Amino acid sequence: MNSAQIEIQLIASLVAIACAIPGTFLVLRKMAMISDAISHSILPGIVIGFFITQDLNSPLLILLAAFTGIITVVLVEYIQKTGLVKEDTAIGLVFPALFSIGVILIAKNANDVHLDVDAVLLGELAFAPFDRLFIGGTDVGPKSLWIIGSILVITIGLLLAFFKELKLSTFDKGLAASLGFSPAIIHYGLMSVASVTTVGAFDAVGAILVVALMIAPAATAYLLTTDLKKMLWLAIGFGVLSAISGYWFAHWLDASIAGSITTMLGFIFLMVFLFAPSKGIIAVMYREKQQRTEVSLLTFLLHLKNHTEERERHVNHLQEHINWQKVRAKTVLDLALKNNMIVLNKNIVSLTKKGDTFTSKAIDYIITNEDAQIEDMKDDFFLFRG
Amino acid sequence: MDITEYFSLVFTDYTLRTITLGTAILGAVTGMLGSFAVLRKQSLLGDAISHAALPGIAIAFLITGAKDSNTLLLGALVSGLVGTFWIRGIITKTHLKSDTALGLILSLFFGFGMLLLTFIQKQPNANQAGLDKYLFGQAATLVESDVWLMAIVTGICLCVLLLFWKEFKLLLFDADYTKTLGFNTKFIDILITTFIVLAIVLGLQTVGVVLMSAMLLAPAAAARQWTNSLATMVFLAAIFGAFSGVFGTAISASQNNLSTGPVIVLVAAVFVAFSFIFSPSRGLLFKQIRFIKNRRDLELHKTLAFMYHIAETHENISHPHTIKLLNNFQGFTKKTLQKLVEKNYATIDGSMWSLTDLGFETAANLYTKQSTEDE
Repeated sequence: MNSAQIEIQLIASLVAIACAIPGTFLVLRKMAMISDAISHSILPGIVIGFFITQDLNSPLLILLAAFTGIITVVLVEYIQKTGLVKEDTAIGLVFPALFSIGVILIAKNANDVHLDVDAVLLGELAFAPFDRLFIGGTDVGPKSLWIIGSILVITIGLLLAFFKELKLSTFDKGLAASLGFSPAIIHYGLMSVASVTTVGAFDAVGAILVVALMIAPAATAYLLTTDLKKMLWLAIGFGVLSAISGYWFAHWLDASIAGSITTMLGFIFLMVFLFAPSKGIIAVMYREKQQRTEVSLLTFLLHLKNHTEERERHVNHLQEHINWQKVRAKTVLDLALKNNMIVLNKNIVSLTKKGDTFTSKAIDYIITNEDAQIEDMKDDFFLFRG
Repeated sequence: MDITEYFSLVFTDYTLRTITLGTAILGAVTGMLGSFAVLRKQSLLGDAISHAALPGIAIAFLITGAKDSNTLLLGALVSGLVGTFWIRGIITKTHLKSDTALGLILSLFFGFGMLLLTFIQKQPNANQAGLDKYLFGQAATLVESDVWLMAIVTGICLCVLLLFWKEFKLLLFDADYTKTLGFNTKFIDILITTFIVLAIVLGLQTVGVVLMSAMLLAPAAAARQWTNSLATMVFLAAIFGAFSGVFGTAISASQNNLSTGPVIVLVAAVFVAFSFIFSPSRGLLFKQIRFIKNRRDLELHKTLAFMYHIAETHENISHPHTIKLLNNFQGFTKKTLQKLVEKNYATIDGSMWSLTDLGFETAANLYTKQSTEDE
């Protein structure tokens, strides 16, 4: 690993952390798409800023472009307030228009602007170490490292200073407002941080990766925990992990670093989406299947309790009367047998004493809906845990 | 080339005619289907799908090695559909909200697509130059067969729309009711979503993945302001979309260095802004005018009521009072007094006013009787 490689990974990791922090709150506040809108609509701001400053890394340009981001948010909210269209339509109308203005500005001034739309959307992390910052003639490192570093420091400072307020207003807007924290200030503060981060990071990693780095780690973390602090740490961890693994993946494929980091983020999300312990798709499906079987079991036990005739209690009758498929009937029968709820005698099913009390209790529960009745059964069954 | 020259050339020049027809048809079909997306509150789905189509294009190229646009669009369609159903899976199976799911799939698929595109560019055999056009679209690359494809798909869309009109409409406004009536809502839902994806994929070559969502939304959002009927809205949206396509092509053709996609989007945005402001029933301008009118009426009534309370205390209701009396009253302006005189509710004599019989009677019944005279 040479120093340029280390620097690239450092920049990517810092961007990942700087994005994960506002991203977590955006996901929790159901405003994830706003980050997509901001990342597109900063383009005209960047172009105009570039005309003025002639330097892609100037702080003035970052502020100008971030200001365009805020304008987007304000415009979206204004259109939404008129009630003419829904919020999502407002977002979908504002950012393509602003982005188009940016693209046209670039196209019309293609000769003067050393700016490429592809570069804005995708960035080129591989070149970041070559644009270096000199202070008094000494090389102190890549410019983008300093930019994203300072943005990260500010973000962390704001997060530590206003953590309580942010947490409160994210989860209970009404309470936060009644306690005297202005929702507007917190809202626009968060939007400003998101805008500044987007602009600061776009040069290094491009607008789309910023969106991915904001939303994906937070969404992945949200599937694993419901604790805000843990979620922040997990999001940061996933971000940095995919930044570094993405770099090496791109190195191996000789392809875009930004694209490869996003792919890593996607891969991690897919894994968590499938295998997360309680909220992953497999866990959810397993739970749903369990619950289906348990409902079937209850129906079956109730049927037995209601019918004393032997004809109604014959194993083959199950399929006819309750209309279950063979496999399902066997699963239910096995489950009931395993729990000593029933006894089989020459293919005639009858309830045991345990099964009888269980069924009565279950009926009681269904009728009265009181938890106390089934406390002791909770261990055996998923059904009553919800 | 200026605009007039463009319109004289559009019927004779092959390229111009193809592009204009292509963008017009595209605008019409996206406007039509976009109406459903907007009303189903799936406005941003278009944005997500168009981004999600990118890896499909790259994979189709990697597998077939062909640059034939139909093959690539088929890949785009498949990956757009995969993205759509993954979004749906995330929303229904986990507690992540729709905005997170959309942003997630959008950025992840797009990033993956970019990875593949850069990977393809590094391949030695690749003449991959044409793939970039799907990012921002190049209407100039449209050929006659593309336009035919668009026309055929639009025709199919129209047929399906007419065939399932009742079901679509019902599902749009009352999904639960549709289900209780015994319609297969899942099927109708998938059908309309598939057509939305199809329309988006068709537009990728012309306006590109980044701006495609605006083509879907803008005509529909503009049309929504002029009507409350679904049929009219779909029709209007198709017209707005087609006109944005034609005007956008005309403007971009008449200038150098103007790509068609962004111009079409901006023209559509102008349609939206115009509709937001000038629509008679919902527009901001008329809303403001109605607001001011109502306030004036209210002030008029307040002044009249105030005058009535003064006149009440005198035996002769037409007893003159000085205008100064009214000056310390909030709703009063010179204009309201003028209007009262016009309506023959009061008379002015120098700096004195007096209530007429008519005015007194109207004021007495102001809050007990509905008056239809004042709007």
